[in-house]
Amino acid sequence: MRRLQPSGAGPLAWCGILLVTAVTLCIFQQMLWLVLPFLFGLIAYYFLYPPMQRLIFAGFSQEAAANITVGVFALLLAVCCALMLPWFAAHAVSAQETGLRYLQGGLSLLDQTLRALEAQSRFMRDARVADAVSSHIAAAGAGFAQDRLPALVMSVAAWLPSVMLAPFLAYFFLRDGRRFQRFLARAVPNAYFERTLYLLYEVDRTTRAYFQGLIKLTVLDALCLAAGLWLIGLSSPLLLGLITAVLAWVPYVGSILGCALVVMVAATDFPGSPSIAYASVGLFVLVRLLDDFVFMPLTIGRSLKMHPLITVLMIFVGGAVAGVAGLLLVLPVLGVVMVIGETVSIVASDPRLHARHAHARRLRLRSVTRDLD
Amino acid sequence: MRLFGRNAANDVLHPLRQIRLFSSLNARELAVVQALRHERRYLAGEVVFDEGDDGEAIYAIVSGEVEILQADGERQTRLALLGPGEVFGELALLDQAPRAAQARAHSDCLLVVFFRADFMSLLETHPKIASKIALALARHLGGRLRQANAGVRQAGHL
Repeated sequence: MRRLQPSGAGPLAWCGILLVTAVTLCIFQQMLWLVLPFLFGLIAYYFLYPPMQRLIFAGFSQEAAANITVGVFALLLAVCCALMLPWFAAHAVSAQETGLRYLQGGLSLLDQTLRALEAQSRFMRDARVADAVSSHIAAAGAGFAQDRLPALVMSVAAWLPSVMLAPFLAYFFLRDGRRFQRFLARAVPNAYFERTLYLLYEVDRTTRAYFQGLIKLTVLDALCLAAGLWLIGLSSPLLLGLITAVLAWVPYVGSILGCALVVMVAATDFPGSPSIAYASVGLFVLVRLLDDFVFMPLTIGRSLKMHPLITVLMIFVGGAVAGVAGLLLVLPVLGVVMVIGETVSIVASDPRLHARHAHARRLRLRSVTRDLD
Repeated sequence: MRLFGRNAANDVLHPLRQIRLFSSLNARELAVVQALRHERRYLAGEVVFDEGDDGEAIYAIVSGEVEILQADGERQTRLALLGPGEVFGELALLDQAPRAAQARAHSDCLLVVFFRADFMSLLETHPKIASKIALALARHLGGRLRQANAGVRQAGHL
């Protein structure tokens, strides 16, 4: 009895899966201008998929449901932008000042903490750690402003048009996703047809479960952080929680950036009481632990069905071969490559399927050459 | 223009109308089912699926004939010869058990195929259509069961 469930992939297939994932990440890093809009488009697609399904359930066709869903979403987005535009216009000038103020607040906290440690430890006092760190940060800050900031701003500006592609991609995924699946299945020989249907279904199921899990995880993280920050007494807790939760999409690096952001805001809002900043760090660590041990297994963990050791290993590999982009993309890419690799390895090791395909080809050749003998 | 559109839609739906499983569906419901179908062409003698394969799809015959064969030691016994409008592989919809017999094209044929997961999603998105199909499927399976019982009784008399 042959089974379709991808349980037959051996160690060789798994090596291939990991290798293909690493190579795919390398390729993706070279064409981020296309990959990132696709990624954002996919996130938007899986975010809008449930409301579209509800419309289909209510009796609308796939096309009408896609049009209505994307139309309503675009309208809501436009209304939000229109409402927030005056606020942005009023605060645009002071944005740089605010950023610098928060940065200064964070640096002051760091300086205070290091000096407090120096007061406690003779070794640190002798090494003059606080002065050394301050001078390093000042040099790095000056170098960053002069050398890297203009290039960074220019690259962000260059990225914007391709990111604007994301909503269009999401719309076409919603409207034509099924048609595209049928188009792909049509290209497959009869012998492999059912397996291809199963493979396409599994790829769709895996990516949907991953991205919908990611959206749920972001909401849970944002709510927990916002509640904690509100209890501590920080300003704009919901916005801060949301930004931090979105930053956490990038494993490790995103979490550290999010923590630094929260600490900077806490140090600036309460300059005289470092305990608030320490409480924010404690809150952040608590939410990370909740995230890793409770929320993640409930949302994303279930979708990929991957051993935690492989997940951690591949996150490091992703970071090593493709930097921040690799960290961001490694889990969804691994999930999809894993499904494809396992199914293909099962199909490739099934001699009966190859024999059926060869038989069908012989039949086709005979049918087209019948009158040529 | 509208009339032309209607006729074109009817032409597209015509193959599905012939299939007994969908005989109780109206044009609008057929259009929903139509969006889920895949079309495959098989040559005479080509295997559609093997006994023991995982059943992931249900097949309906638009044109041509398909024979259902079961291995009996070295030789194969024909269980049924199915023609246009008939469905096979329907047990795949009900459970994930392996195929109970081999299906092979008896003549060149055109089949429409429905993936099980698509059918299952129909239960959620269009329960009315799904219930009509389920009823037709139950009748179809009842007919098969009666045929099988009659066969056993005949064999008992012999």
